[in-house]
Amino acid sequence: MPNFPPPDGSTESHDGRGDDPRPGSGLEKTDLELVKRAQRGERSAFDLLVLRYQHRVIKLVARLLRDPAEAEDVAQEAFVKAYRALGSFRGDSAFYTWLYRIAVNTARNAMASRQRRPLDYEADLGEHEQASVQSRLRHVDTPEAVALSDEIQQTVERAIQELPEDLRTAILLREVEGLSYEEIATAMDCPVGTVRSRIFRAREAIDRNLKPLLD
Amino acid sequence: MSLRHARVLAAALGLAVVPGLQAADPPRAWLERMSESLATRNYDGLFTHTAGNQSEVMRILHRVEDGRSVERLVSLDGSGREIVRTPEEVHAYLPDRRVVLVEPRKEDGSLLKAVPAPGPELELLYELEARPGHRILGNDVRIVDVRPRDQYRYGYRLWLAEDTAMPLRSAVLDAEGRVIEQIQFTRLEMPAHIPASAVEPSVDATGYQWIRTGRRGNVRVASVAGWRVRQAPPGFRLVASRFQALPGVPVPVPHLIFSDGLASVSVFIEPGPASGPIPREHATLGSANAYTTTIQGHVVTAVGEVPQNTVRDIASSVVPESGAPALDAGR
Amino acid sequence: MTDQIKEQISALLDGELPQNELNLLVRRLERDPALRLAFGRYALVGEVLRAPGGALASAGFAERVSVAVAAGESAATSAAAYAPSTRRRRATPLVGAAVAAGALFAAVLLLVPEQAEQLQPARIAEPPAPAAVAADIEASGAASPTPARSQRMAAYLVAHGEYSTPIARRNVWTGVLANDPGITRVSYEFSEAR
Repeated sequence: MPNFPPPDGSTESHDGRGDDPRPGSGLEKTDLELVKRAQRGERSAFDLLVLRYQHRVIKLVARLLRDPAEAEDVAQEAFVKAYRALGSFRGDSAFYTWLYRIAVNTARNAMASRQRRPLDYEADLGEHEQASVQSRLRHVDTPEAVALSDEIQQTVERAIQELPEDLRTAILLREVEGLSYEEIATAMDCPVGTVRSRIFRAREAIDRNLKPLLD
Repeated sequence: MSLRHARVLAAALGLAVVPGLQAADPPRAWLERMSESLATRNYDGLFTHTAGNQSEVMRILHRVEDGRSVERLVSLDGSGREIVRTPEEVHAYLPDRRVVLVEPRKEDGSLLKAVPAPGPELELLYELEARPGHRILGNDVRIVDVRPRDQYRYGYRLWLAEDTAMPLRSAVLDAEGRVIEQIQFTRLEMPAHIPASAVEPSVDATGYQWIRTGRRGNVRVASVAGWRVRQAPPGFRLVASRFQALPGVPVPVPHLIFSDGLASVSVFIEPGPASGPIPREHATLGSANAYTTTIQGHVVTAVGEVPQNTVRDIASSVVPESGAPALDAGR
Repeated sequence: MTDQIKEQISALLDGELPQNELNLLVRRLERDPALRLAFGRYALVGEVLRAPGGALASAGFAERVSVAVAAGESAATSAAAYAPSTRRRRATPLVGAAVAAGALFAAVLLLVPEQAEQLQPARIAEPPAPAAVAADIEASGAASPTPARSQRMAAYLVAHGEYSTPIARRNVWTGVLANDPGITRVSYEFSEAR
């Protein structure tokens, strides 16, 4: 069953459960492994973390900024900040939780630096921030970007519908319900290896339609 | 600080404890009441701190019970760091480094002497004004402006709640009236009671490294310890001197504290490095400025919430008392 | 880019790739941009499924981040001055703010340079040789202090904080608690022999 973002979009909501790392989960362990490698200087490991979380961070930042056209700029800054601060990440929280906070902070600073309030401005900053969050429903930027985003959306949805049922079930259980391979194997009564293969084949099938849009 | 301590402090600051305030009361009375509220009342709030174009969101709790006051400051921006300050010690919890830093607080009396004490001369140095302001967080507000009369100090604008005199918003301003640094509360409650658990750290420090610094009780209040400032900027007077233990320095370092009644400047005088003089340097952090120079083989640094020229002038005019500086006096 | 490798990427995305396969795959990803793009597209599928509508990263975003990260590192290594921008980065991320509690947080700030060095060994520039610096170079934002000086400065700010007003002390505490504490501007002047 797909999760929809909450209608009023509080800043603290995480869309869908599929990619929220649960404590001790494989996702969290993998993230931690990638972080360790990045801390040792393997920048490609950090690149993978960016690839994984880029959309989430941009979506989050676009919600927070008054001017969503800046979302990529600010998201980029958040990732760079995160890279620089990697040394202080110890794995006490999930990597995405830590990254999320940095992204929120970066967006907030970006908003603040644009608002050269005259000295006599009396409004409560808290209320002001609330207002900018409420206006987040404006979508990002240019007509072209919006059109592409819509097209990506439709392409993926169409491709999902066309998948054979076992592939569709596997990928939805993984991405939307956030189940591990083991849990999916139990749910679908098949070996873990089959789950892994089905999810891959589902992605490949969707990707065949997606690739021409993006490359 | 303890309640008794706070009242003694208020007295030392030349502040009478004023029971009730009328709208027409002078600005100084508002400042006095603000100081007392901060020291003696329970509060629990969220605020945004801004300096330059960086900002952080923090939660602060201040609990006073049985004459003991405990303060807890928590970062809400992802580091998970927090500071808890009791009368005996300050603990800084740094989960991102898995470290707790512990510093004993020195109750040797020098604190009372050294905290800015606005006397009648305050109005010679600053122009004070109080006027009504727009409501903040549902409170009627009195704005207190503290404007410096010269370039040696910063100004302040304080938005005080009319009923409690709590600073709902506070800004440090430069001579042109530009905001250098600002704190603004987005939520502030002042409950009659705060549970003790609320000022306990939420960090589980199991397995953390505990680092204790400073030395308890070994710091003696001494006289000028062989150094003096030849010419401090107008209004700044030496109010205390002591020795500071600094990591990596084998001897306690003379620490002079100057104040104009509101702003304070510290001067530290360290033995210079064997390699020779270091470059003069100035540094800025929000509303704090520091200036370092070398004088007779010693590294002299002045630091305080004052403009750059003030710390530079103070540091540059440090001279030894006749004869060699008595660095042994504090050991 | 075989199916077998793409299946590994798929598993990596789900956090289900065995440790022993991780090494090789990360190295492959490092070498092969097409593979990275595939990884990115797989991640995109998940995003679209979970949260329809809303912003998405444009093509090349991840590469731009990679370039920005690399640029940051090389700039630090060569200790080049960079022009101040509206979202000004700190001239040095090394020195923490003052705290009203004595030398305690000097220790925090002792920790900070070590962390930075772990990641970017060449980041901290030595102060320029006296002959090279005649004027105040504050405007260019260059010239980071040595770690020792940064630490000392922090210790001073810390010790001083106890003698400030409550408002000043609170300003300064928040610096320590902030994620990225830092001194915003340091400049050097040529020191004359005395």
